[in-house]
Amino acid sequence: MATSRRQFLQNVLGGSALISASLTAPAFLTSTARLLAAPGSRDHKVLVVVQLSGGNDGLNTVIPYRDPLYARNRVALRIAPSAVLPLADGIGLHPQMRGMAELFERGRLAIVQGVGYPNPNRSHFESMDIWHSCQRGDEATGGVATAQAWTGWLGRTLDCLPGKQRGEVTALHLGRGALPLALVARQTAVPSVESLDRFQLRSSDGGLSVAALRELSAASLSLDWPTANNDAAEHPSAALVQFVRQTALTALDASGKLQESLAQERAAAGYPAMPLAGQLRTVAQLIDAGLPCRIYYLSLGGFDTHANQAATHAGLLEQLSQSLAAFMADIEARGHADRVLVMTFSEFGRRVQENASAGTDHGAAAPMFLVGTAVKPGLIGPHPSLADLDAGDLKHHTDFRQVYAAILEHWLGCPAAEVLGGSFRPADVLKPS
Amino acid sequence: MNPPTMRTLAQVDAAWAWAPFEPGTDGAWDLTAAVHLYRRAGYGATWGELQQAIAGTPAAAVQRLVRGGEGSDTFEQQMADAAEPLLGGSRIESLAAWWLYGMLQTPYPLHERMTLFWHGHFATSFAKVGSVELMFRQHQELRRHALGRFGDLLTAIARDPAMLIWLDAATNRRSHPNENFAREVMELFCLGSGNYTEDDIREAARAFTGWELRQKRFTFNRYQHDDGLKTVLGKTGRWSGDDVLTILLEHPATARLLTAKLFRHFITETEEPPARLIEPLADEYRRRDYDTAWLLQTMLGSKLFFSPLVRRQKIKSPVELVVLLLRSLEGTTNYFRLARDVADLGQALFEPPTVKGWNGGREWLQSASMVGRLNLVWALVSGTDPEYGNKGDLTSLLARQGIDTIPAAIERLSLLLLGEVPPPALQVKLAAAAGNDSQGRSAVDRLRYARLVQAIAALPEFQLV
Repeated sequence: MATSRRQFLQNVLGGSALISASLTAPAFLTSTARLLAAPGSRDHKVLVVVQLSGGNDGLNTVIPYRDPLYARNRVALRIAPSAVLPLADGIGLHPQMRGMAELFERGRLAIVQGVGYPNPNRSHFESMDIWHSCQRGDEATGGVATAQAWTGWLGRTLDCLPGKQRGEVTALHLGRGALPLALVARQTAVPSVESLDRFQLRSSDGGLSVAALRELSAASLSLDWPTANNDAAEHPSAALVQFVRQTALTALDASGKLQESLAQERAAAGYPAMPLAGQLRTVAQLIDAGLPCRIYYLSLGGFDTHANQAATHAGLLEQLSQSLAAFMADIEARGHADRVLVMTFSEFGRRVQENASAGTDHGAAAPMFLVGTAVKPGLIGPHPSLADLDAGDLKHHTDFRQVYAAILEHWLGCPAAEVLGGSFRPADVLKPS
Repeated sequence: MNPPTMRTLAQVDAAWAWAPFEPGTDGAWDLTAAVHLYRRAGYGATWGELQQAIAGTPAAAVQRLVRGGEGSDTFEQQMADAAEPLLGGSRIESLAAWWLYGMLQTPYPLHERMTLFWHGHFATSFAKVGSVELMFRQHQELRRHALGRFGDLLTAIARDPAMLIWLDAATNRRSHPNENFAREVMELFCLGSGNYTEDDIREAARAFTGWELRQKRFTFNRYQHDDGLKTVLGKTGRWSGDDVLTILLEHPATARLLTAKLFRHFITETEEPPARLIEPLADEYRRRDYDTAWLLQTMLGSKLFFSPLVRRQKIKSPVELVVLLLRSLEGTTNYFRLARDVADLGQALFEPPTVKGWNGGREWLQSASMVGRLNLVWALVSGTDPEYGNKGDLTSLLARQGIDTIPAAIERLSLLLLGEVPPPALQVKLAAAAGNDSQGRSAVDRLRYARLVQAIAALPEFQLV
């Protein structure tokens, strides 16, 4: 077994002689094998997650415009009933969300109202971590989880998909900055790219080729040439060197695959000139090119509207709405409508009562959007009461992990309890498949 | 305790860890150790600096890093003068380029490194502040107190216009206390979560009422200050904002948070530091009135700092990637282009991603692809990119050091960039990548040296310090 693994690895790495037996760590092997073995696929289901960073004001997104308490709590920030895009039952969308209102009419949009979790944390980072990891680091549980022990719900999804299927699974983060905790897995290094052209190796001007760099990236001073007092496997930095090596090989391979995908690009549908739209357009291209990617992750930031919220928030909602509408139109035109599901979330909503700076402070429950042909369209669950508050914030009636559970069980095909670390009744948000 | 058998920090004894490193008994004071010190505490070292370091004692080298080299004061003045013309502009990239120039040319690299450390700690972004001048004024405060007393720094930053704008605290009225600054000063700047309650935040927010900005200057508006009794962390009084800062500085958690963060920055980021190692150092840091230079000198001169346990236990940040490379190779560059490329790798100076700054660690490599790093190294050393041009000439650098063959260059560049000479089998690979020929000595041109640097940069160890 050991010999065949090693042989396999050498084949994978182009017959490199630099592979020592100490390298045949299962994680590295599976990751490399996965990348090399993954065929393009045109039938797997895809989840696109759009994170609204900063805490979206749910109350001015999905608006209970007939509720007198809405007008009483929102004076400077109130959206007039005549401007709201009505959906049903006295609930309507922000006026800048015409694209999403249209998706709603066409039965492509589910709005899950009142989503949150018990004992809400109002720190951006801690609440975001809770949504990403489904674990709580902010409550003493007898031992503090170290950074390495933390994984995200999507990362665990990648790790748990069984057998043959798992060999075809990857995820991609589009954006600058840190890889979202949600995508951190134990066994899979998820690539993170800002734009695809920056991801190409520039080697045409006398630099080393991808193959040469691959061979050197697979080599390691400390692991492949252990000295007497520097035993490779037990060297304190062995894990970090392994990580760098695996990341380098993932990046170099993904670079090649993305190049192929872009070479097959078609003319895109009419996307607005907005950053989120540009990223969603890239996602559509990659889906259409058959990249073996199950999860795409994007972020739209700027929702932390403590002051002068109205214009900022309107612009963000317009961007979200127009971008998603253009993406869904493109995906339908390309014939992938039935295998793409979009989910949006934010780390928390905002306080019901606006503040003195024409803004809103950190709150709790808020709505989530699910977009696609697979959703049960419409408003799901009532709007949380504006009379029955928790320290000035809306109370949730649906735990976000119930929405995750529905997506895991009914869309990604992965046992939810294992990923979520507990049993959650799936929210009724998707049509039976 | 037998240090060579240590595998994890859990086995490390605090008294041993922080005692001064003794060459010989605790390990060799050689090029490898000097490279380790200069990569972590400086911004890399030239061959000459390394030779000077190992000719003296490690304590003297640490002292030089903590105090700064000759001409540090003059350089500081030159930097301030050089920034002046940029401040009326609207492009923060100019200031980022100016700072990278400072990192590459300074005789006091630890000062630049600590300024960047505090920029991440008190992370404030131009994206919201929108003023080059205010970002620069904050930056000057970070520079002024970078190795000084943390209390002075905290007091300065709490009044800093850029920070007040960043945290929406430019007006803070008695009737509507702004909780944002009170929250971040507790969660991120001082105590860390778990050491305060939501009530502490609300009460502290009252103490900061009346702190305002007028014409881009901090002012105290006593008519908007709530001078009632407040209870913060169990202490009750008519606290002002400064009183709250004092209460935070008196709390042991503040020194521990800072010490642990410096530990992750300077010693290792792969293992969380055990409280046993942090607490004695942190408590002494607090007793010494948060004298950051003392803390750094103790950490950097310690047995733990030089032990094999913590070598190569950090992933280079994008800034470290380029500054270490260029300082070691004595190169200059196009600072504007460099600022953009470093930003593309995930570290836009003056634009940290969140109020938490840059998380660092493994996230550097996950977000900014390795391909981008390899491209940048190539662009910097090859001279083939028209914007970077032909500035850092490896051929003349190596010739000045008496080196004109690929095998000799492999040895010298590996020592400078990795801190050790690769085993023969790997040297063969590196030589092949560089494009060696049978004559060995002849036809060594710049592109071959550049390919050699790119090949070394492709080894996993290159990404670590």
